Amino acid sequence: MAGQSDPHISLFSAEEVEFMAEDELIEIVPNMRMDPLNFICGDFGPFLPQIATQVPMWLAVALKKRGKCAIRPPLWMSVENLTKVLEGERDSQGAFQVLPFHYVEISRLLFDHARDDIPDMYMVRSLIEDIRDVRVHKVETSLEKFSGTSAVKIPNLSAMEVNIIRPFVGRALQAFYKHDNPEKIPDVDRASSGQTRVANNEPRRPLRR
Amino acid sequence: MKIKSLKLREAHKGSANASFCSILWDLNAHHLVTASSSEPSISIHDPLLPSNPPRVLRHHRDGVTALALSPNSTCLSSGSIDHSVKLYKFPGGEFETNITRFTLPIRALAFNKSGSMLAAAGDDEGIKLINTIDGSIARVLKGHRGPVTGLAFDPNGEYLASIDSIGTVIYWELQSGRTLYTLKGVAPDTGSDTSILNVLSWSPDGETLAVPGLKNDIVMYDRDTAEKLFTLRGDHTQPICFMSWSPNGKYMATSSLDKQILIWDVNRKQDIDRQKFDNRICCMAWKPIGNALAVIDVMGKYGVWESVVPSSMKSPTEDIPSSRSKNSNGLLFFDEEDEEDQELSMSGSLSDLGEDSHGESEPPSRKRLRKQSVIDDDQHEDVYNELNLCTKTEYRKKVHRINKESSDKERDGSRSMMTFRPKMQEAFQPGSTPPQPGKRNFLCYNMLGSITTIKHDEYSHIEIDFHDTSTGPRVPPMTDYYGFTMASLNENGSVFANPCKGEKNMSTLMYRPFSSWANNSEWYMRFEGEEVKAVALGGTWVAAVTSLNFLRIYTDGGLQKHILSLNGPVVTAAGFKDELAIVTHISDCLPSNEQMLEFRIFNISKGTQPFKGHLPLTPGSYLTWFGFTEEGQLSSYDSKGVLRVFTSQYGGNWLPLFSASKERKSGENYWVVGLNASKLFCIVCKNPDSFPQVLPKPVLTLLNLSFPLASSDLGEEALENEFMLNNLHLSQIQKRIEVMADEGLDTTPLDDEAFDIEAAQDRCIFRLIASCCNGDKLVRATELVKLLSVEKSVRGAIQLATALKLPILAERFNNILEERLQSKTEVLKTSLPRSKHDRNVKADVAASMALTATERSEILEPTFSSSSAKLSAPLLIKKVKSSDRVKFGKPKTDGDQTACLEDSREVNDAGKNAGPSQVKNLQTQRPSNPFLKLPNNQEEKKVEEVMSESQSQGPSNPFFKSSNKVGEATGIQQSHRPSNPFLKSTAK
Repeated sequence: MAGQSDPHISLFSAEEVEFMAEDELIEIVPNMRMDPLNFICGDFGPFLPQIATQVPMWLAVALKKRGKCAIRPPLWMSVENLTKVLEGERDSQGAFQVLPFHYVEISRLLFDHARDDIPDMYMVRSLIEDIRDVRVHKVETSLEKFSGTSAVKIPNLSAMEVNIIRPFVGRALQAFYKHDNPEKIPDVDRASSGQTRVANNEPRRPLRR
Repeated sequence: MKIKSLKLREAHKGSANASFCSILWDLNAHHLVTASSSEPSISIHDPLLPSNPPRVLRHHRDGVTALALSPNSTCLSSGSIDHSVKLYKFPGGEFETNITRFTLPIRALAFNKSGSMLAAAGDDEGIKLINTIDGSIARVLKGHRGPVTGLAFDPNGEYLASIDSIGTVIYWELQSGRTLYTLKGVAPDTGSDTSILNVLSWSPDGETLAVPGLKNDIVMYDRDTAEKLFTLRGDHTQPICFMSWSPNGKYMATSSLDKQILIWDVNRKQDIDRQKFDNRICCMAWKPIGNALAVIDVMGKYGVWESVVPSSMKSPTEDIPSSRSKNSNGLLFFDEEDEEDQELSMSGSLSDLGEDSHGESEPPSRKRLRKQSVIDDDQHEDVYNELNLCTKTEYRKKVHRINKESSDKERDGSRSMMTFRPKMQEAFQPGSTPPQPGKRNFLCYNMLGSITTIKHDEYSHIEIDFHDTSTGPRVPPMTDYYGFTMASLNENGSVFANPCKGEKNMSTLMYRPFSSWANNSEWYMRFEGEEVKAVALGGTWVAAVTSLNFLRIYTDGGLQKHILSLNGPVVTAAGFKDELAIVTHISDCLPSNEQMLEFRIFNISKGTQPFKGHLPLTPGSYLTWFGFTEEGQLSSYDSKGVLRVFTSQYGGNWLPLFSASKERKSGENYWVVGLNASKLFCIVCKNPDSFPQVLPKPVLTLLNLSFPLASSDLGEEALENEFMLNNLHLSQIQKRIEVMADEGLDTTPLDDEAFDIEAAQDRCIFRLIASCCNGDKLVRATELVKLLSVEKSVRGAIQLATALKLPILAERFNNILEERLQSKTEVLKTSLPRSKHDRNVKADVAASMALTATERSEILEPTFSSSSAKLSAPLLIKKVKSSDRVKFGKPKTDGDQTACLEDSREVNDAGKNAGPSQVKNLQTQRPSNPFLKLPNNQEEKKVEEVMSESQSQGPSNPFFKSSNKVGEATGIQQSHRPSNPFLKSTAK
């Protein structure tokens, strides 16, 4: 659909969404001793060997890269749970299963950096890909159906999915609104022009990593 | 009843006709194996990902009619219409061997409990008992008139039951190969339809045999007498074609020709759930872990029925019966492996001799049974004797048997108490886990790292890992030819020991330092006629306790330094720096199943024994962990989950600091690793595991220490707990300060720590006071106020009481503060004469002391009726004294009243440098000191009197005045001292 085919139209790039997801907390098991770290976003630690502690994703990845910790995959990332979620997604046409808001990004980061910490990594990975495909498919089919409304409510949608459909939905809703209320055209135009300016601020500078 | 629909997936295509299909779970429920008699392939499915294509084994040339998995799930066997029985590796599925051939199709296969024997039968005459190791046929059992369709080994290994298609059931005695009972026509005659096979099944405890009956029911037969016990009869409208006991034997699933599955509660003899299918279900298997049933129908479609048993009832895998768990206990498995060798040779001879020799040579399973009963008998003997007498291989077994038994007892104390005589606990190493076949186990796991071992054929492989990989030394893995079963680890090195195994393999102690300036600095000690039972490691020493109750102490270089005789058989030992702690039995346990243990602490470098005493345990429990906290306090953990820490309070006592039953979330066991002053480090194990596996690497969980407090009417357990813990820490620190001060060391860091804890304690007490006030526990509140260490907190408490409108309480608090200040001044003054002051000052001091002593009677009541000028003279001298005391040396002799007021300011300033406590008092007070602002008026005299009191008491304090002079002073002073809490309260 529109957002997916042209990533530049979406408000954030995938990298930016991932960057935001790096603030999510995750549990790590350090294998070194370190004093607590005091950051603007909070205090983390102290780090004691073999004792699990919560840190932001970016810190977990940084420590993992240096071989200083093992990342504990979140509870939802178990084969059992994902199998259940996948079945649930397949069974229910309209509704979405509850998954963390950043599940795509978190799983991607873990697959990239913490392969050895995820039991049944290939299984988990294929399950998550399946879940994502099913959900995206569901989103797109449900978008095909909506008509004549000025608001769409889809509970349990994740960041990446919202990001993909946001520009399309926004413009589509505006279009509906415009056609429904021809007398309000000037207002809508102003609003939409503002919106498009924000959305089209390309060329986009790639995120420095 | 709720009817859920179950989706079935196709596993086997094949002909459109109904054909018998089989389904099996493996031990860990990771795989499902299916086969169909219309298709030559066997499929291994992944139940988690049913959509993935299964692994297919195609070795048969015709349909597969029977499947069986060895109990440890390493060997799969299949029987086929093509007359062959094949063995495969599992879960890999590699073809191993055609273990036997028949002349007609196979219909049934079964492994015995140890997996060493396979029974196969079919349309041929005779049931073959095949030794799985060499494929030799141990026996052929002949007696059935029709094709044998079902085989079942009794879980206890004595009998084999078989059923044929015409409905005859035969009990075979394995030892002799004789038929014990023949029950003719008890099951339906299935005729010539090979898609229906009569089956039978032993209950998991081996006490009953279930056979389909003639009235669409299941009939239960007794194990030993083959008498009909009861039937399960319900809504099946056609004969039952398959049944399966749940792993715990509480439930049974039956499928019938009427295409239904019924789930039965066997004890209540009632069906609890059912499900209808499109086709007849010809095979079912309970999931070994969890609550699910795998089914396959005659068209080759399979599915897994989740949550078969309603969640309100016991799970089908809960409480797996004891005979079964005894057999599948990891340790005994290990024994069985040993025995398999024996069996191999024995059955080899068996087949050599031929079938004639059956009378003399016993089939292996019987042998195993005997051996187990021998062990059982041993356990009833005095363990004390066993410690010295029993053969060493058996010894290891017993450690775990007894531990296991005690844990059984824990589950069901009263019953087992009647049936078992309590046993003395065997020796153990803290932080070790029992060996498991094919898996690594911990020899030692502590806060520093772990030592793991895995047994290969002849030798073991030992690895030492430190948790902190960045600082810990890297130790290469080593090959262990001794078979070490005990180990201990610290920063400097590791010590290992093995029990002796027979004559050749003596007990050996080995020490391996991690870094040494010399080569080959590891050393060995061999013990003849003696066996190491426990080892411990300290700063510069190694200790081993042996079966002769010797405590042997070595230096880390290997010098044999001391040998001491202990009072009783050792239970465990632990080391920390200079200190070695040893737990021994004092006597046989009490009839109430209490272990009688004694502990001793040795100081190795000083050669002293600072403490010895009884080691308390929760009644009915045994010691599971013993060690030191990170601060060096001795601590113990028992099987009932109570952690105790040794303190020197009350002359050396054990304080219960943690109780798993208070903490425990259901289904968790805590395996203690270590603790520090406030936290317990443990590994959380999900039931029924009581110890962790090496892989995946266990993660430590921190739990808060907490006293097992009774629930008080105050409802502030958390605060009370914190209060007690702080007290404990404070006393520990003070003791250490004393020790260090005695040794002339710098105690500043400890002082700081003590101060921090005091401050935390005051906060805690303050919150307790608040809740006491709110809960109307005023006496308790005054007691708490007395415990406050800083006067500022007392003042806060007064303010609190005032704010809560409790004037009586506030007055009591005031009195407490008053007493405290008094006693403090006395202490200060008595210490004064030691310092060098001139004679004048000394005299003043004496005067002021006299004043202090008499102030209650003289000053508090306004007996100073003389003029203000007279009164101010002694006052000033006192002030001079106090400024002298702080070495400001600014004597003032003139007795002017205004000077007096100025002076009091000076004294305050001077007081700032006087000492920490004074500073605090003065600082807190200064802002509210009323005298500086007081105008000279007619009340001056009284004010001065008040001042004299506060001066004479060192740090001045407003509340004397308030308590004594209220009558006169309130009216005026109130306007000047709005911040004085007491006046507020009296004004109200």
